Amino acid sequence: MESAAIGATAEHEHHGPPEAHASSRIDRQTLGILLFIVSETMLFGAFFASYFFLRVVASTGPWPPEGLEIPKAVAGVNTAILISSSFTVHWALESIRRGNRRGMIMGLAATWLLGFTFLFIQMNEYVHIGFSARDTAFGSIFYGLTGLHGAHVTVGLMLLAFANIRAWRGHYTSEPKKHLGVEVPGIYWHFVDVMWIIVFTTVYIL
Amino acid sequence: MVAALKKPGLGRGAVGTVLAAAFGLGLVVLLRKLSGLPAFQTEQTGYPQVIVPAITAPFGFFIGLGAFDYWFRWAAGRPTYPAELEHKDHGASSWRDYFKFNTDHKVIGIQYICTTFVFFFIGGLMAMIMRAELAQPGTQIVEPGTFNSLFSAHAAIMIFVFVIPIFAGIANYVLPLMIGAPDMAFPRLNALSFWMLPIAGIMFVGSFLCPGGGFDAGWTGYAPLSTGAPLGQSFFNLGVQFAGASSVATALNFLVTIITMRAPGMNFWRMPLLVWANMSTSLLVVAATPFIAGVQFMVLFDRALHTNFFQALNGGDVLSYQHIFWFYSHPAVYIMMLPGFGIISEVITTHARKPIFGYRLMALALIGIVVLSYTVWAHHMFVSGMFSWLRIPMMITTLLIAVPTGIKIFSWLGTLFGSVLHLRSTAMLFALGFIVTFVIGGISGVMLGMVPIDIHVSDTYFVVAHIHFVLFGGSVFTIFAGIYHWFPKMTGRMYDERLGRLHFYLTLVGMLGTFVPMHWIGMEGMPRRVADYSAQFGNWNLAISCFAFLLGAAQLIFLYNMIVSWKWGPLAGDNPWRSKTIEWLVSSPPPVFNFDQIPRVVGGPYEFGVPGARHAIVGPAEAEVGAPTPAVAGAAGARSP
Amino acid sequence: MTRATLTRIIAAILVLTAIIAVPMTQIHWDGTQGSSQANKIDTLLNVMIVLSSFVFAIVLVMLGYCIWKYRAKPGDESDGEPIHGNTKLEITWTVIPTVIVLFGAIYSWVVLGKIETKASDALPINVTAQQYEWTFNYPVGSGDKVVSSKVLEVPDGRQLELHLTSLDVIHSFWVPEWRIKRDLVPSGPGGNDVDNTVEVTPDRDGTYNVVCTELCGYGHSTMRALVKVVPEDQFNAWLKKQPRVKAVPGTPTGSATGAPSEETTD
Ligand code: HEA
Ligand code: HEA
Ligand code: CUA
Ligand SMILES: [Cu+2]
Repeated sequence: MESAAIGATAEHEHHGPPEAHASSRIDRQTLGILLFIVSETMLFGAFFASYFFLRVVASTGPWPPEGLEIPKAVAGVNTAILISSSFTVHWALESIRRGNRRGMIMGLAATWLLGFTFLFIQMNEYVHIGFSARDTAFGSIFYGLTGLHGAHVTVGLMLLAFANIRAWRGHYTSEPKKHLGVEVPGIYWHFVDVMWIIVFTTVYIL
Repeated sequence: MVAALKKPGLGRGAVGTVLAAAFGLGLVVLLRKLSGLPAFQTEQTGYPQVIVPAITAPFGFFIGLGAFDYWFRWAAGRPTYPAELEHKDHGASSWRDYFKFNTDHKVIGIQYICTTFVFFFIGGLMAMIMRAELAQPGTQIVEPGTFNSLFSAHAAIMIFVFVIPIFAGIANYVLPLMIGAPDMAFPRLNALSFWMLPIAGIMFVGSFLCPGGGFDAGWTGYAPLSTGAPLGQSFFNLGVQFAGASSVATALNFLVTIITMRAPGMNFWRMPLLVWANMSTSLLVVAATPFIAGVQFMVLFDRALHTNFFQALNGGDVLSYQHIFWFYSHPAVYIMMLPGFGIISEVITTHARKPIFGYRLMALALIGIVVLSYTVWAHHMFVSGMFSWLRIPMMITTLLIAVPTGIKIFSWLGTLFGSVLHLRSTAMLFALGFIVTFVIGGISGVMLGMVPIDIHVSDTYFVVAHIHFVLFGGSVFTIFAGIYHWFPKMTGRMYDERLGRLHFYLTLVGMLGTFVPMHWIGMEGMPRRVADYSAQFGNWNLAISCFAFLLGAAQLIFLYNMIVSWKWGPLAGDNPWRSKTIEWLVSSPPPVFNFDQIPRVVGGPYEFGVPGARHAIVGPAEAEVGAPTPAVAGAAGARSP
Repeated sequence: MTRATLTRIIAAILVLTAIIAVPMTQIHWDGTQGSSQANKIDTLLNVMIVLSSFVFAIVLVMLGYCIWKYRAKPGDESDGEPIHGNTKLEITWTVIPTVIVLFGAIYSWVVLGKIETKASDALPINVTAQQYEWTFNYPVGSGDKVVSSKVLEVPDGRQLELHLTSLDVIHSFWVPEWRIKRDLVPSGPGGNDVDNTVEVTPDRDGTYNVVCTELCGYGHSTMRALVKVVPEDQFNAWLKKQPRVKAVPGTPTGSATGAPSEETTD
């Protein structure tokens, strides 16, 4: 469905119908992805609400419960990786704005690889973390929040994959509206990063 | 044959469904074998071998249907459709096109309306069975377990696959026309959101086939009852996901359409109130619906993966379910009401031949309701044992919602004042009936909002009465009003007013007779959600059931009227109600691409009685009058999938 | 609109209000009043009935008047007078409902405070619910010894302090004659987030029913227990001759003494 929001859009010319009057400066696909991000944020909101109830309201003992360790260090490194990917995607966008296709292709590829590395490290963390979503509510909400975010990274990677392929195939030029296919997934990717920073601080640091 | 299965459509959809389901099943079996588990797991909350295919199958269906064809080409960077194919999925030339993946907002609107009405009748039939069971104390027709599944499915179907989506359907048809847009902002996303609906509905209804029966924890599905319930509950969890995704996507689509595609001259203070209403509703949907998605995921995890979100013994929090659920589901009740308010405004000004009274305040009241409705969720939890300090603030906000709602009611009355009131249209009858029934429902709501009263009547038939006065007397009346009002525009034909009037009066009598006494037995001590009750309520329940059957029978008249008029009704002409908004300035039914050139808006939408005032100027399109295009003449036969 | 019609309309509204409200306030909608809380709640209800009748009368009269007065003559295709609004009027019908609901809110607040005031001599009872039966434990004398019963036998005129716990899913404790309802929430070690005590002061001898009002599964509709409200001394006598049993935390204690409650549905 995410790909939907964007797919429906890029290079979408009408032939039969009259071109719709543009009653706002913002273009459809950008507004669409922004609204979509709003509802995504609320989805995280639901899980944060649950986190609040489990930790603040229901839990009596220490948090996390004794014996459960979360690898702050690894996650910290991982955070750095993800944040840097935000810069690479911005680089890609700036490049194509200046008409530098090579820069765009490199940027997109780099972003994708960084994102994938993040996901890989996350999986690795799950394997070695030593507790599962089944033991205690802490485990449930830990996997709940990080897993939800992981799912969003996956979606983001999917969108970036499309952008990569299309970039390779020679789409996108510097004129406005001709590189929305890079811009829109970029916006989503920034959202994924910001969301991770929030998840990281809540779950790992606080 | 093979060729038929190769090209997008229901046939290929069926194949896709089967393949995807098989894939899901294979995946489960494989993974379980790898981890050394028995291939199948039949503990009542588990059944991964059913759940996973139930998740994968719909996607196979979408792919088969052709929903993703365009996006696949796009994603692969291949040239998307050539110019002549660019609109191959747009518009309907025969009734068959209504069973295809179609990107024309008008076709999608019809698809929505027909599908949701099918579900209305299914949900209603369940209500009829419930009323038959409740006609006498003791259990006669269905045993308690089935009864629980019946009212759970009844409510889930009526709310998630009838009321919420049908408003999206009506708006889908008229809203782009009203704002002078050629189509919705994201036509393919629009089509996809429609096709998610039948999936949700089928899951709700199909859950009855599960071992242990359909989901039986009520439409509210409170944990931990739901987390321990039989397999059927999982289909509720999943169905809600599809219905939710559908309405989020549609809301997004509406917002983008309204903000970026209004005709020149149509500033926000010139938008018809139906557009305002759907804009407010979409704001609610986009920001609230994810909460129910989230909480149903948690329930599914607790069931299938044995997580502990709501398992008190392992540190879970039982009440957190209700907080998260109602943070969506209270706004949801306005999601089910605001579009109706929009419809009523259109109908009343048109048939009162008078501008809407206090247009701006009407629009602002909608926004006020949107804002307030995020601050009242805990009024469903006054007796739940939640933090007692939260009750008073929530009570105050809850009662304050009466104010913006009142503004709307009184403004409608103000519109009628000094009007030239035409009662000839059934739409107007339903609009006026709505004012009475909804005010009753609203007032019982205000009483529920007062903690001391709620402590007594919460979870009794008083609440059931409230539900139906606001949902049937409110939402469903507005839906009928809207259907009758735009029927000529959608089909190009006129319905039978005599049957329409009969339908209205029987429905009114039936609904009052059914739902008024529910207040009384509720206050006197009859709890809700019971298959069996104490003998003292016997007589009232018998009366209620009789009226309920009358109510049901009345809906059959509506069904007959719609089907027959769609095929054989007299031609309606472009603007039978002499209305001013843009959708009435084009032919009935409108041309495939709505307009030859985008109309220009030159004034307010409701300038009745103002000499020489015009709302919009529709170019040559004004010329195209008269006979329905093959699109809808053929569509007469359209039965919904 | 002339002054005369205005007065007529207002008169009609007041008359209709009376016609609706008077009979409605005469009826005891909530049934017998069995506790000192009941009376306060019913009074609040009656006040709301009067106010609501007023609101409803306004709507009905205006609607009726418009239909009667402005109904289009057959063949009349003219338009109404283009009135776009009237700020004074709009302010009025924003303010009046606000006043009404705020009054209602404050009044409810007061009533809530009254019905939840704790008495010093309240009698503690532990109510335990499970699918689909009730158990009532009376802490007596020393330590963890309790009297356990399937019938809720209580003294007349003394406040009860009910401690509610559930062993499986959510149930809800309701005695219609007492007007008091509260969910019983299953709570684990961290159950301290649930407000699980509720006060009620029965003041009318008789036999009533505990009704489960939260959907709890197959047996929800028949999950009932008997309530016996008896004079204080009679209650003490009853309590004396009950067997003392050891309270096992988390489980309903005691043999099923007293009348079996599951089948009673009235
Ligand atoms: C369309 C759906 C809809 C709508 C619009 C409403 C509107 C309102 N609802 Fe309702 N409600 C439901 C659907 C709806 N509800 C459902 C489905 C449930 C049950 C859920 C379940 O299964 O448990 C429920 C339950 C419910 C409860 C919980 C009951 C319980 O379980 O204990 C409460 C409590 O506060 C409540 C209150 C209100 C209020 C105050 C309004 C207000 O918005 C009403 C405002 C309108 C008016 C007041 C009338 C017009 C106003 C005037 C004429 C002005 C003057 C009026 C006054 C001064 C009073 N509702
Ligand atoms: C939009 C929402 C909506 C609508 C339209 C309805 C419509 C009806 N509802 Fe529904 N109802 C709810 C929403 C709705 N309900 C909700 C949210 C609940 C709470 C569930 C819960 O507790 O979890 C509920 C619960 C509920 C109960 C309480 C169950 C319980 O708590 O034990 C009852 C009992 O009478 C009931 C009855 C009816 C009836 C008679 C209709 C009638 O209006 C239906 C009329 C329509 C038809 C009858 C269909 C058309 C006719 C046919 C299909 C042909 C067959 C006709 C005959 C045999 C005559 N409903
Ligand atoms: Cu216990 Cu319902
Ligand atoms: Cu609510």
